This record gives sequence, structure tokens and C-alpha cells, in this order.
Amino acid sequence: MTTQAQSQVVLQEAAMGNLSHQSKRRRGRRFTPAGGRTSFTLFLCILPFLVLAFLFSYLPLYGWIYTLYDYKPALGLAGSEFVGLQWFQMLVGSPAQMAQIGQVLVNTLAISFLGIATSVLPLAFAIFLNEVRAPWFRSSVQTLTALPNFISWVLVYMIAFSLFSSSGLVNDVLMDAGLVTAPLKFLDTDQNVWLTMTLWSIWKGLGWGAIIYLAAIAGVDQSLYESARIDGAGRFQTMWYITVPQLMPTYLVLLLLSIANILNNGMEQYYVFQNAFNKEYIQVLDLYVYNVGMTGNNLSLATVIGMLKSIISVALLLTVNAVSKRVRGESIV
Amino acid sequence: MKLTKKVALAAAVILAASSLASCTGGGGEKTTASEEFPSSWDEEITVDVFDGLANYMGVQQGWFADIVKKKFNMKLNIIAPNVAGGGDTLYNTRVSAGELGDLIVTDKGEKLDELIAGGLVLDAADYYPAMDSLASFDKAVERLNEDSGGIYGFPTSVSSLQPTEPSEGLNPTFGPFVRWDLYKELGYPEIGTLEDLLPVLADMQELNPTADNGQPVYAFSLFKDWDGNMMVTAKQPACFYGYDEIGFVLAKADGSDYQSILDPDGEYIRNLRLYYEANQLGLVDPESTTQNYDTLFSKFQNGQVLFSWWPWLGQSAYNTEQNMADGKGFEMVPLADQSIFSYGAEAYGGKQVFAIGSKAEDPERMAAFIDWLYSPEGAYANSSQTMGSAGPEGLTWEVNDAGEPELTDLGKEAFLEGGATVPEEWGGGAYADGVSALNTTSVLPIDVDPATGFPYSYTFWPTYQATVANTLTEDWSANMGDATSTMGYLEDNEQLLVAPGASYTAPADDSETETLRNQVKDIIKQYSWQMVFAESDSQFESLLDELIETANGLGFDKVLDVDMANAKEQNDARVAVTEEFAG
Repeated sequence: MTTQAQSQVVLQEAAMGNLSHQSKRRRGRRFTPAGGRTSFTLFLCILPFLVLAFLFSYLPLYGWIYTLYDYKPALGLAGSEFVGLQWFQMLVGSPAQMAQIGQVLVNTLAISFLGIATSVLPLAFAIFLNEVRAPWFRSSVQTLTALPNFISWVLVYMIAFSLFSSSGLVNDVLMDAGLVTAPLKFLDTDQNVWLTMTLWSIWKGLGWGAIIYLAAIAGVDQSLYESARIDGAGRFQTMWYITVPQLMPTYLVLLLLSIANILNNGMEQYYVFQNAFNKEYIQVLDLYVYNVGMTGNNLSLATVIGMLKSIISVALLLTVNAVSKRVRGESIV
Repeated sequence: MKLTKKVALAAAVILAASSLASCTGGGGEKTTASEEFPSSWDEEITVDVFDGLANYMGVQQGWFADIVKKKFNMKLNIIAPNVAGGGDTLYNTRVSAGELGDLIVTDKGEKLDELIAGGLVLDAADYYPAMDSLASFDKAVERLNEDSGGIYGFPTSVSSLQPTEPSEGLNPTFGPFVRWDLYKELGYPEIGTLEDLLPVLADMQELNPTADNGQPVYAFSLFKDWDGNMMVTAKQPACFYGYDEIGFVLAKADGSDYQSILDPDGEYIRNLRLYYEANQLGLVDPESTTQNYDTLFSKFQNGQVLFSWWPWLGQSAYNTEQNMADGKGFEMVPLADQSIFSYGAEAYGGKQVFAIGSKAEDPERMAAFIDWLYSPEGAYANSSQTMGSAGPEGLTWEVNDAGEPELTDLGKEAFLEGGATVPEEWGGGAYADGVSALNTTSVLPIDVDPATGFPYSYTFWPTYQATVANTLTEDWSANMGDATSTMGYLEDNEQLLVAPGASYTAPADDSETETLRNQVKDIIKQYSWQMVFAESDSQFESLLDELIETANGLGFDKVLDVDMANAKEQNDARVAVTEEFAG
């Protein structure tokens, strides 16, 4: 969903870029009423997208006003007390509070980086899958690995629970085999939480992530392979020297998008897996906002923390922009 | 162009205005005073009941639905935040939308005040004169509404008992209940204090390592569904010593002691240590961390757990007629130093209230329905699943020739044999499925029905007590100085500490305190669980130090000060109500 929205924005920006180039060119060449009408028509074309961007990206910023109130749903904003910057002060005023948010940010970044680090796996999977010669086997593997993407996290947790809880299948087998005396704690432990969470998302997303690479592979010019083979390249050599370089642009675009999403690792997965034992390491920013706002019943403070996320995102963007300016001589914004 | 602009502007204004209107709600439609409710209603309606206590979500089924349909021509659509999950999420969502429901069951104090200020509940003053059944509890209604300038709420759990008398029936709310049959096999060892339970339970577990279904048996099995300010199962043993929680404070019923729950020498930490030691001995069910109350309950039913903090868990799950006839079941073991906390009859009603939504479809019918809940008929029919009213007259009980109430065959089946089928003319279905899903007690079942002269709860009826003597209760009684009930034993041995029912509600936290509280309680719950399952003494102690440090860092002290003040105020109210009713 987020990736889709992101690519939409990219497309939209690209379209707007083209547009401005075009109109500039026109203006330079011939400044006539006819040209003006054309650009107005073109403006009408992008208008719906501008409206959408406004509605979904700028209008919600109005919600930041909740940070200044002690918001109580029953009383509405008008009936709630105006408290000024109280929530901000509370957030920065207590070291324990800051430490908690620090831990939450570390969790968020760590899980995101693990996700980015493992983003080569779908690529590798697609390349190897493509080498499978038997079509029935290839397509059944593809279907089976893509399916988990459609299972909700709640169901994934049910699967995890029935396999790994203290009375789950794995523990039963281990106990019956006499390998362990007390059930192992797979789910209620703070050991390796980041890793297990990453493994679950790989299990869920691997096949789905591979689809786009498979599509890209299908688009590679077959003559490249033929000529490579004539030159004596083996199977692994064609994979390494042709398929991989051909997929690189796709991979880099997706990588960029996932870096842009670094603070958005969602909350469903962590919400269903959280418990008293792993909470310290599983609480990512989105989940923390939910826990403070909905479970802890303080919507104003949750908004402040949500704001924090936007501010960090903007800071990250500006940093990347500065780096890009220095390295490539081009900036994004 | 101009015209479209105007139209757009007008549309925007209307939209904005209507969205604002939906937020403020207002007082609802004008009500007309009624002297008497109509005896029948023509149009069938389905009303939304937002019920903070309900454990069932959906339209009420079975015999209770049948009664409501016949009397009020309506269906109850229960909306249960407990079932929907996630704290106040559902409450906040519905409140933001400007309507909670036609009928509302919520907490008095902060929540009710907020709903009144936000115009979400109806002032029922116009209907109050017609509410005849409530007239006998007028004092409680007046007290609840005294500062609100209207009649907005109706108190639950009212009774005409003295506030210094226990509100419970034959059993206290809390108590150390164990599998009596195994305790008997061990030769009724004496238990001095709480910690002495551990070796006894260990022996019991050794004696009976697997249940009939082949699953392992554990002394303790914990669950987290009801964790609020702290780990709920870790608080319970404090109640065996007369303490109950108010925020982060454990306050003794007689006002003689107030403890911070993080006091390393206090009752709460003592109990965490108890479970930790039990876990080291292999007495704690490893599934405790993940299971919910339902799973736990079925474990009790299957005989997989040996200790229950409450009679209404162990006994109601395991003490079936068959088991008791075999001498098996949960009974209280006496701890020599126990002094069990008992809630006095709430003079002005319990924590929850009934209220009518300001946008109720038919507020008059809501008022009539609420009033009916306080009538003898309503008190029999509507009771929370665990409180044990006798059900509707004619179905589960009737007055016998001697003029005493007595359970019918169907009543015996339903209450004693674990289920009965209700005849079609009463709505059909299993009896248990037709129990009122409101799960809210209007009148305490211990209160006396003026028509029969006996309490609403069948457990007090002589006709019932004569029929239920069995191997288990006889053995228990013989070993407990011929006590006829747990409550009787505790009273005779002065092991009961009654907190006078002052209907005290702590004032609403200011928003900063509330936020601090929510963050601190998360930490407390998190560490409590970790401490119980700590691997070594040193880990337990270091987790405890970490807990205290983190909680203090997050502002525990500030919240504790508020709670301490509230606890003392609560005690003042108890003293006051005792004097008021004594004089």
C-alpha cells in the first residue's frame, strides 16, 4: 500500500517535471493565448492529483493542533482544555521518557535496517527461481511463496503461536523427543526479537517481493544470453554478468523507496507479537504511538510523538538531499 | 463560475456546520414528563447497549431476550469494548462520533462526568417520577447525581443492606481456594502464612501430576487479560490480608495501612516473589504468559490447576455435582494469619452506572427498561453471570407449598448440573446462552425479595442448602469447625475485614497524572511478568531495582502522591458512611 502510494507520488512528480519543462519550452518559443489555454488544460489534468495530495498529505496536518490541547473525545476539541506546549515539555522534561523514545527509535531503525539488508533476498530468490527449468515446479514454488503475502498478520501470529508457544508443536516435539525438559520460550523472550521479526516478514514477503524481479527478468533481451552462451558463459556466469546487472536499476529504485520508508515499518506485525517480555525491543514508532494514544488513552501525547516522526523524516530527507547534492551534484528537493 | 463558487462555499459551510454539530451532540430531543410508563409498546426496536462490562457482543439471545421482547418489544444489541479489545479504543471512537448507544453502562466519576459535559447522556429527570422500582433506592440515585443538575445516571449493585455488612453471599470475593481432595490426601497440613502454601501445593502437584485429560497439572496458572494498574493475579493474595488496590496504592480495609505497590517489603512485591519461587519449584504453568481467561477457565474445568484466588473461578469451573459427590472440588484452606478483604454493601451503589444515551431512539422505553431492572422481576432475571440470581420465576424457581422459594427441576439442571435447555415458550436454547449479557448487577442478589422474604440469590434459600450437602462440603465442614459456609467460617474466626461500602470513586486524574499513570503502569506490568519468570534470584532482584528506577523516572512518585491522597479520602468516606448508617 505504502509502496504503491510512494510510486504514485514518484510518477506524479515525474509527470509534473515533464510538464514544467514542456510549458517552459512553449513559453520560450511562442507566448500566445493558444499556448495559455493548453497549459490551463494540462493544469486541469494534474488538478485532481493536487487535490488528492492536499487532502491526504496536507489537510491532516491540521490534526497537529491536538498537541496543544488536552483532548478528550467526549468533550470535542472545543470543550477540551488548551494546554499549550505541556505535552512537549513532558516529553523532553523527563530523562526516563527520553530514554524510552530513544529505545523506540533504535528498535524502529534496527528493524528497518535489517529489512533493507535482507532486501537482496527476493532478488536472489527470483534469479534462482528463474533458472528452474521445469515450468510446473517453478510456478508452484512461486505461488506457494507469494501466498503468505495475503495472510493477515493476525493469522500469521496464530500460526506462530500454534508452532512456537510453550504448548505449541515445536515444543511438544522437542519435549517428546526428550531434547528439552522445560518448554523453550520462542515468543515470550527478549532474545533476538529484531531477528525473529525480520525472519517473519521475510517469510511473508519473499515470494511477493520476487514478482517484480521476475517481471524484470522476463523483460531482459534474450540475445544477451545467447551471445553470452556463444562466448562460452556457463549458467552462473550468465546469472552474474547478465541477469544481476540488468536487475540493478529495479533493485535500486525499490531500495530507495524502502529507505524513504525507514520510519514506517507499520504496526500490525509488532502489535500482534508484542508481550510483556519482548515489549522493550519490539516497540517501533508506529506501535508506540498506538500504545500511547489508544491503549494509554492519551491522544494528544500520541500526536506529539507522531509529529516527532514527521520531523525526523524531514531531517532524514534533508540529509539524504545534502549527500546527493554533494555526490551527484543533483538534489531531490 | 461565480454561481459554482457560491454553491461550493455553501456546501462547505453546511458540511462544516454539520460535522461540528455531530461533535457537540447537544441535549437530544426534548423529553416530555411521564407519570406512568405505557404497559405495552407497539413498534419493535433494536437498541444499542454500550456496555463496559459485557463479555458478549451482538444481539441478546435466549430467555432473557424473550422476556425483554415480551415486556418492551425490543431487542438488545450489545456493544462490548471488552470483546472488541484494546482498552478505551471503542469508547473513544464512539464518543468522537457523538453517540455511545441508546443504553450505556459505564463508570461513574470521570467517564460519566465527561459524557454529561459532552452532552452524550440524557437527563432522565422527566422520567424519574415514573420509575417506581427505583424509588426504594432513591437515596443512591440522588447521591450519584447530586452535583450534576439532573438525573443522568442510575447506580448499579444497590441494596438495602448496611454498608458494614459484606456484600458477598456465602463466599467472599477473594480467598485461598485449593483442590480440597488433594489437600485431604496430604492430611490437612496446617498453613501458617502465604509462603507456606508453596510446599503444600508442591506436594499436591506431585500427588496429582496429570489431569484426567492427560495434560500436566500446575499449582498456579496465571493470565493477563485483566491487568490494569498492575499484574492482576499478583495483587490477589494481598486481598487475603485485607488490602485492595486504589491506583498504585494497596489500602487496608480498616484504614490502618497504605502501601506503595513498589515497596520492596510490601504485599505486591511479596506476591511477585511468591510466584517467582513457585516458578522455580515448577509450580507455575508455563502457558501463563500467553493464555487468556477463557483458556484458564477451561483448564480449571479440566482439573489442570490447583489454586484459585477466587471462589467464582475454581468452584464455578470445577465443583460440578459429580465432582463434589466424588469428594473433589475447590474449597478454602485457612491461612492462619489471613484477614480476607470483603466489600461492604455499597450504600450508594457500585462503580458502574446505567445511563440513557442523548440520542436514544426511544428514551422513555429506555427509562422503563432501566426501572424494570430494579424491580424484583428484573433483579431475578438480570444478574451478572457470576453473581447467581435465581433466574425468572416459573422457569428456574417457584414458591413451594410451604411458601419458600425452591429451584424447579430445570433450575437444578441449569445451576447444579451444568446446563439445561429452556422450553420454547421461554425462548428456547441453552439456559446459559440466554443469561443477561448486560453482565451488570442492578440489585445485589444478597438483597431480600419483599415478596418471598428471601434473598434473590438461590444459594441462601434453605430449600437449596438442604439439597446440596455432598461429600466435599461435608468433609470441608467437618474440618473447619462445622462451618456451614466460607463466609460463616471467616466471620466466626474473625478472619474477615469488611471495607464499608461508601461508594467512593477516586476523582478524575488531571491529564498529566493520567499520562504518567498510563506509562508507569505499562512498565509495572511488563516488569512484573518478567520478575515472575526470572531465572535466578539475582535476576529477580535486578529486575526489581530496574523497575523501581524506571517507574520513578517516569513519574511514579507523583502519581503515588495522588493515589495516597485518594486512599485516605476513601477511608474518610468509609468512616463517614459507617457513622451515618449507625446513627
